[in-house]
Amino acid sequence: MADATDTSRKRSQVADVDRSLYDFKYSEEGYERYADGLSTDIVRAISEKKDEPEWMLQLRLKALATYEEMEMPDNWGPSIEMLDLNHISTYVSPQTKQANSWDDVPEDIKNTFERLGIPEAERESLAGVGAQYDSEIVYHNMREEVADQGVVYTTIEDALHDPELEPLVHQYFGTLIPMRDHKFAALHYAVWSGGSFVYVPEGVTLPYPLQSYFRLNAQGAGQFEHTLIIVEPGADLHFIEGCSAPKYYEANLHAGAVELFVKDHARLRYSTIENWSKNMFNLNTKRATVGADSQMEWVSGSFGSHVSYLYPTTFLQGARSSCEFTGITFAGATQDLDTGCKVILNGPDTTASVDTKSISKDGGINTFRSSVVVGRHADRARATVSCASLMLDDISRSDTIPAMDVRNGSASVGHEATIGRISDDTILYLMSRGCSEGEARTMVVNGFADPVSKELPMEYAIEMNNLIKLEMEGAIG
Amino acid sequence: MSDQLLSVSGLSAGTEDKPILHDINLTVGAGETHVLMGPNGAGKSTLGHVIMGDPIYQVTSGSIVFGGQDLTDKSPDKRSLAGIFLSYQAPVEVPGVPLYSFLRTICQMRPELKTTARKFRQRVGEIADQLDINQNFLTRELNVGFSGGEKKKIEMLQLLLLRPKLAILDETDSGLDVDALSIVSRGIEAYRKECDGALLMITHNTRILERLTVDRTHVMVHGSLVADGPASLIDDIDAHGFARFENALEQKEQA
Amino acid sequence: MANQIIEAHQEQTSTISRVNVPPAQTWNYLRINDLSFEVPTPHFVGDVYARLPRMFEGVECGIGDEAATWIVRASGDARFVEVKAGEQREQPIYVDIDASATEVRDTGVLVRTGASATIVTCAHGCEGDTSASLLRVVAERDARVTIIELVACGSGQQHLDAIGIDAAEGARIDMRQYALGGSRVALGLACSLAGTGARFALDSRYLASGRDVLDVNHVVRQRGRVTRSDIVTTGILADAARKTMRETIDLVHGAKGAEGSEIETVLVTGDEVVNKTLPVILCDEEDVAGNHGASIGAISPEQLGFLSSRGLSDDVAERLFARALFDDALIHADVAEARQAVLARATEVLGIDVARDIAEVLDIDFEEASC
Repeated sequence: MADATDTSRKRSQVADVDRSLYDFKYSEEGYERYADGLSTDIVRAISEKKDEPEWMLQLRLKALATYEEMEMPDNWGPSIEMLDLNHISTYVSPQTKQANSWDDVPEDIKNTFERLGIPEAERESLAGVGAQYDSEIVYHNMREEVADQGVVYTTIEDALHDPELEPLVHQYFGTLIPMRDHKFAALHYAVWSGGSFVYVPEGVTLPYPLQSYFRLNAQGAGQFEHTLIIVEPGADLHFIEGCSAPKYYEANLHAGAVELFVKDHARLRYSTIENWSKNMFNLNTKRATVGADSQMEWVSGSFGSHVSYLYPTTFLQGARSSCEFTGITFAGATQDLDTGCKVILNGPDTTASVDTKSISKDGGINTFRSSVVVGRHADRARATVSCASLMLDDISRSDTIPAMDVRNGSASVGHEATIGRISDDTILYLMSRGCSEGEARTMVVNGFADPVSKELPMEYAIEMNNLIKLEMEGAIG
Repeated sequence: MSDQLLSVSGLSAGTEDKPILHDINLTVGAGETHVLMGPNGAGKSTLGHVIMGDPIYQVTSGSIVFGGQDLTDKSPDKRSLAGIFLSYQAPVEVPGVPLYSFLRTICQMRPELKTTARKFRQRVGEIADQLDINQNFLTRELNVGFSGGEKKKIEMLQLLLLRPKLAILDETDSGLDVDALSIVSRGIEAYRKECDGALLMITHNTRILERLTVDRTHVMVHGSLVADGPASLIDDIDAHGFARFENALEQKEQA
Repeated sequence: MANQIIEAHQEQTSTISRVNVPPAQTWNYLRINDLSFEVPTPHFVGDVYARLPRMFEGVECGIGDEAATWIVRASGDARFVEVKAGEQREQPIYVDIDASATEVRDTGVLVRTGASATIVTCAHGCEGDTSASLLRVVAERDARVTIIELVACGSGQQHLDAIGIDAAEGARIDMRQYALGGSRVALGLACSLAGTGARFALDSRYLASGRDVLDVNHVVRQRGRVTRSDIVTTGILADAARKTMRETIDLVHGAKGAEGSEIETVLVTGDEVVNKTLPVILCDEEDVAGNHGASIGAISPEQLGFLSSRGLSDDVAERLFARALFDDALIHADVAEARQAVLARATEVLGIDVARDIAEVLDIDFEEASC
């Protein structure tokens, strides 16, 4: 059994917030770790280990070729020069079988998730949980009554070995995010591992959310999970995704993919609290397609990573479908976070509303980037984009780059953006009521973030507020 | 009833989620001056906007007949062309449209006002002088960056230019300083004299009424017309407020 | 005629790419980052042309280096105007670009300390291939400069129009930009508010119809303390017109107390319009305020309601907006030739009756001219 090698607790000023919550790591000794870098051999080895159908292997090989041929755009986006794939292992796996009881999970891994509060949350407020440790899912479980309704919540690997589910995976996998979408989408398809497959049958409403938690423990490694969710007509699901990693100096890479299929009269809420460590390159791709009279809701909190490229994308294909995107990004020292969203309104009477906040501090760089595209046939489509950026000092940076492309005369699109700082008057007012300046600033920042935190389930809202407090106290690990 | 200019009968209206006006009956004869008073939130402005045909409000029952023509289902532009004018409490800003272009277009829509550009210019110039409006306002964008007083003066300019048969002035006096108030009063007097138009003044301030001969006073409380009287009713309200009308309505509702 | 240097070697064309690239770009697949132009290749046969003082070379002009270089080369002689310190120049500095004669102009204006001047540029014409203008303005301390930029080309023309401004401490630039026509038009504009308290106000108006392509790049660099920029853009898109509007407010590190705002309102009346907007705020300073607002689509319900209450149906209201654009251009274009060019374009777009009415209401002589 591996020992905890680094559990040094860096106490921040505030007793109830503890960076060590995220910043501990275990040895990966004894783990199966593939050679750094990328090659056909590695891709074949991953596929073989997973005993995949031939079509998946072919897809991986094609993706690898695509990855090698594609370039990163040279005219926009944060630099990823420090990311060298030759020093990243694309596959690291703890030597354990997937369990459906925490008792069967190896102790160090179990401890990790215990400390992140996952089993507790599962008991209290979730309908099912999946937990990924490095490249593989180590735990997966769902409440019986939910399973009885025909809900499937498993890994894609398992679905591929289930004769009933394999055709479904084949039908949907990779159809929403093309491998040519960008260079790291291609990389994802070549080396993907882990993630979740969710199927909610027609008319089923899940009483509690499902949650997947992604933990990248190994250093100099990549995590490439693939999440595939199908919400059939009339069904309703809330899916929560959490991610974190301990801090290393070596670059880590996260290039996951999330494909969401929301059919007619259905609803999907997809919430993410992302707290990767600050050596992480996060080039994640998320995309949803939405049918008639359906709702897609994104709630997204981005706190971690060194560099992020993250723009959840929604295709409103069906008439009267809608998309709500609520997001917050907090960029502190050494972080360059390029985040936002894309919405494509294709159906008539579709509506989209985007509301984002960003906070920049200690030299952090925030870029809000969005696109709203209204197609030729989207009669009476309506979209509003609102983004507010808060600058906490004069060494940070905040850019707002929202693009709009409207091709229907009856559509209406509104956009508003503000950039500014906490007003001295506000701070003075709060201090005149007895708050210290630090408390006053934290209070204002929390208030600024409130529209996002109130969209989150309680535990996550608290976690987010704690993260903000932690960042504000300057106890960055 | 045939000699009435405006007949509102059994009118109930409101927004999608909330009824505001209840069974309103109101008639205004040609050339008459009526005053509509009532506490804040009584529905006075709503009545003005409903008579104008503002699509925010839906008429649930009753009718609005103007000059013998049933306008209940007509759009605001048709009502305007028929001779109704509503002066907005908060005139809307229209960026990109110089006042000149706007005035010319609204005049050319009306056969009775259609005229050569030269005469139009002359007419606008005269009215602007009458209202102490600097001519350079005419090349500025409609209401954009105008002060409250300037906006109201521009409303008066349109009133005198369009010569409607009925002018509904929605709190035209509110928020004006003494000078602007006197100019606006001058505009209202000119309208009465030059156009012999009827007036429905919505106000809760009686100062602007001092220089007008009022034919009829109406009191609105909670969306209902609760009293109706001669000009002297104004002095009564000035002295005693609206409490007795509110109490009377409450008792009526309880009964 | 020294300015017209493009000789009749029309078979020789070259491509200018990267026209109107904004300071911060985004996804390339959106095709919003730039535009390209096919232009005649300038020919030189040993002539030596007048050029502008070196100081103008550093003035950013928004249209991109490649396009600016082409304009400078294609224009031949450059025109330099200096407004002496303290001079209150009454007569506008007028730059006339006869697009029918494929004219290309390169102009530099230096407005010295405390001086004031008005500059009017007007591109007009019916036929012809490519015309262009590059105007660079250096406004010294406390100078006041008014710039009226008119592009009233006919439906068959392409035109490149670039304006670059450097504003020193306390300088104030008031600018109005009118894009009234042309089949493929690029407007580049950059204003550097370098000095403390420098101000830039821009009112930009456009109308694009038919299959016209209108491509705009507005860049304001706020470098000085307590600088102000205020950009208001109002446009009408009809038929199958294609428009790209990039607006960038760059709040540079050190610009303490700076405030910038941009607002765009687009009225879309055509069913096949392509309407792209990229309103960017870049912020590298804490003590600043940047605001942006855009509304794209039909006239707002409040405005429609108000106009309706004055007797205007929705159709008439839309026509009013188109007419108003020409009215507004004429009100501000205080040069006889420029006004006739605007009226000629109004005749083409709105018909002769409306054009004449506009002229008469504003008491401007109307010379019947049309393409």
